[in-house]
Amino acid sequence: MLDWLRFILTTGLLASGLTILITSVIGVYKFDYVLNRMHAAAMGDTLGVLFCLLGLTVSAPDIWTALKLLLIIVFLWFASPVSSHLVARLEVTINPNWHQLPLKPEHLMEEDT
Amino acid sequence: MTLHNAYSVLYIGALSVLMVLVVACFIRAIKGPSIADRIVAINMIGTQVIIMVGVVALMLHEGYLVDVSLLYAMISFLAVVVLCKVYMGVFLERQAKMNQETQDHA
Repeated sequence: MLDWLRFILTTGLLASGLTILITSVIGVYKFDYVLNRMHAAAMGDTLGVLFCLLGLTVSAPDIWTALKLLLIIVFLWFASPVSSHLVARLEVTINPNWHQLPLKPEHLMEEDT
Repeated sequence: MTLHNAYSVLYIGALSVLMVLVVACFIRAIKGPSIADRIVAINMIGTQVIIMVGVVALMLHEGYLVDVSLLYAMISFLAVVVLCKVYMGVFLERQAKMNQETQDHA
C-alpha cells in the first residue's frame, strides 16, 4: 500500500516537472529574442528540474541515491543563474543594438511611447 | 497490473517525453540566429539529459548512475562558462584589431 502511495507521488511530481519542461521548450520557440528566451529556459532549469528530481527522490532505492539526487538540485540551483548571467553578458557585449530589439511584443511597445 | 510494470511504464513514458524535448532543443540550437541562442539551447539539452540519466538510474536499479548525472551537471555548467568566455575573448580581440586598423588609417 505504501509502495503504491510512493508510486502515485512519483507520477504526480514527474508529470508536473515534465509539463514545466514542455512549457519552457514552447516558450523558447515562441519568443523571438535571446534575452526573452532565457527567461523561459531558466524556468525549466529550476522548477522543472526541482519537480522531476524530487519525484525521482521519492522512489529512490536507498538513502544515498536520494541524497545525491537532492545534491543535483542544489548544484543546478547555484549553477543556472550564473550561466544565465554569463550568457546575458555575452549577448549585451557582442550585440551593440540589443536595446533596440523587441524585448516586449509590439502591441505593448506602443503604450509606453 | 503489478507495481513493477507500473514503474516501467512511468519511466519509459518520461524518457519518451524527454527524448522529444531534446530533439526540439537541438533544432532550436541549429536554427538559433545568434550565438547566445545556441548556448541557451545547449544548456537546456544538458538539463534534460540530467533528468534522463536520473530516470535511467532508477529504472535499472543502479544507484551509481546518479553520480554520472551529477558529473554531467558540473561539466555542462563548465561548458557554458568556457563557451561564453571564449566567444567574449574572440569578440574583444577582433574589436581591438579593428580599432587598431582605424587608428593606423587616421
